[in-house]
Amino acid sequence: MRAWADASAPRRTTRSPGLVLLLTLALALDVGAAMRVPVAAALSPGAEECAECHNAENPGTISVAGETKPLAMDLDAYEASLHGKLDCTGCHLGFKSRTHTANQTEGWLRTAKLEACRNCHADQFTMYEGSFHGTLVFDEASTEAPVCADCHTPHNIVAPDSPQFRRGILDLCARCHGGRGETYLDSYHGKAFLLGNDQTATCIDCHGGHRILPESDPASLISDENRVATCARCHAGANTNFAGFMVHLDPQDPRDSFTVWLFWLAYVLLIAAVFTFGGVHTAMYIYRGIKDGLYGRKHS
Amino acid sequence: MASTVASTPERGVKPRTRVEYLRFNAFHRWMHFLVFVSFTVLVFTGMPLKYKDTEWARWVMDAIGGVTAAGVYHRIAAIITVLYWLAEVTFMIVSIVRHRGRGVLGPGSMMFNQKDLRDIAGMFAWFLGKGAKPQFDRYTYWEKFDFTSLVLGTVIIGTTGFMMWFPLETTKVAPGIILNIALVIHSNEALLAMGVIFIFVHFFSAHLKPESFPLDKVIFTGSLPVEHYKAERPLEYARRVREGTLDEVLVERRVTWRTHVADVLWWTFTAVAGVSALLMSAFIIWSVFD
Repeated sequence: MRAWADASAPRRTTRSPGLVLLLTLALALDVGAAMRVPVAAALSPGAEECAECHNAENPGTISVAGETKPLAMDLDAYEASLHGKLDCTGCHLGFKSRTHTANQTEGWLRTAKLEACRNCHADQFTMYEGSFHGTLVFDEASTEAPVCADCHTPHNIVAPDSPQFRRGILDLCARCHGGRGETYLDSYHGKAFLLGNDQTATCIDCHGGHRILPESDPASLISDENRVATCARCHAGANTNFAGFMVHLDPQDPRDSFTVWLFWLAYVLLIAAVFTFGGVHTAMYIYRGIKDGLYGRKHS
Repeated sequence: MASTVASTPERGVKPRTRVEYLRFNAFHRWMHFLVFVSFTVLVFTGMPLKYKDTEWARWVMDAIGGVTAAGVYHRIAAIITVLYWLAEVTFMIVSIVRHRGRGVLGPGSMMFNQKDLRDIAGMFAWFLGKGAKPQFDRYTYWEKFDFTSLVLGTVIIGTTGFMMWFPLETTKVAPGIILNIALVIHSNEALLAMGVIFIFVHFFSAHLKPESFPLDKVIFTGSLPVEHYKAERPLEYARRVREGTLDEVLVERRVTWRTHVADVLWWTFTAVAGVSALLMSAFIIWSVFD
């Protein structure tokens, strides 16, 4: 049943206290071994070698595919990322020589942002390959559709369930799907998200992260077949009606839902009428009060 | 409320007694207090959601303690709202039954009648300097509107609010689009209610109009000098004199140091409400023109 489910999409799980206890115990018992490892672990020896040139002090640039890119690397940020202990050549496959030309680099960049990820993240890669985005990239050679590093960033890779990543999701998707982002922000989830709740559902919680498919595809998380189960991941007991709630609905657009639009219009007219009458009434009352010197002539 | 500081020695102010006109009984005053507290909380925890992409929405939410905490306060205030609404409706039913239905549509009632239409026309004539100010009975048309919009508005905003609070239960009996409609209604009804209470009707009535400026504190004290009331609501006064029921509403009020302590309290309430109203109104006007 979970075959379609995207393994990497964050779910509301709480870390079990048993696991934490076990890890603490393991850490305590292995404290001797831990002591032998330098505490402020630096870059891997391989990465240190690259850092001789690609460090923050390097003012140089390189022209790749018509774009000027700095040679400098924010090594501190890289070190703090989930990949911080890996060799650069783990992703930048084929960088064997200390000298590499721009032409070589161009090919390598694409590899490092996409194909290299498969070596460790095969499951996610397979899901991505079959997704709408993956199809665009592999079958239609699209250069616009996102590859791994477009969402996960090339170097500052963070856990997908971290607040840092979750806060950025909307911007990632809005690069292409801006209109959907607008209607999302008007929805219950979007309002909570915008006002600081990191746990509320964002794009990937409903659409999936790697295997995003159009609604019309039965395998999609938001297809008629799967939508209820997708809602139920957070809203236990969700039914078909519940899943029929329209997340991306603009109340001001009669084409989205004529009924909702009618309610919206009725309220706009009512508010305008009441506020106009109230405003005029108030202003005229105050005017008369001032004109007749009624202010300050209080009885008690 | 003033009794909480009873240990303070009495000195300076000599107690004196005066006869006042009882406009609002203890029940009325408690109802108003509950509306006052819950409404303010609901506005401050709810309006940032409506104007979620503004900077002030973020400030307010951060000041409250985040969107999740705001949700909890909003729901607590919602429960208070349900309780005061039920109490008010019970009070009305009991009153009607006790008076065997007499006076429900009469001149002293909260119900709209034809005189209200004549009063509206008469007030606009007075505004324009063409005629004397109409004489009012117990409630003016804007007070009736204020009350009616609150009682009926609470049904609308409460129903939609509970739909959104319990979406799973709601969609067991209704299609999912009901949640989209509920949000549109709840959000706009809230703006309407806020405008009515904070600007155009209630604040105007209690603070801005010349007869009340800067504060009509009768909803806190319950009674006011007979002469004052006679001037403000001459028809009710005359009616009571005619019917011989004036004694029912005349109360002896001792003016002591407690009265003055209470005055400070009423002014504090007013300041809280005034600042809330000004702040929220300014925020929303800012959003409209931003």
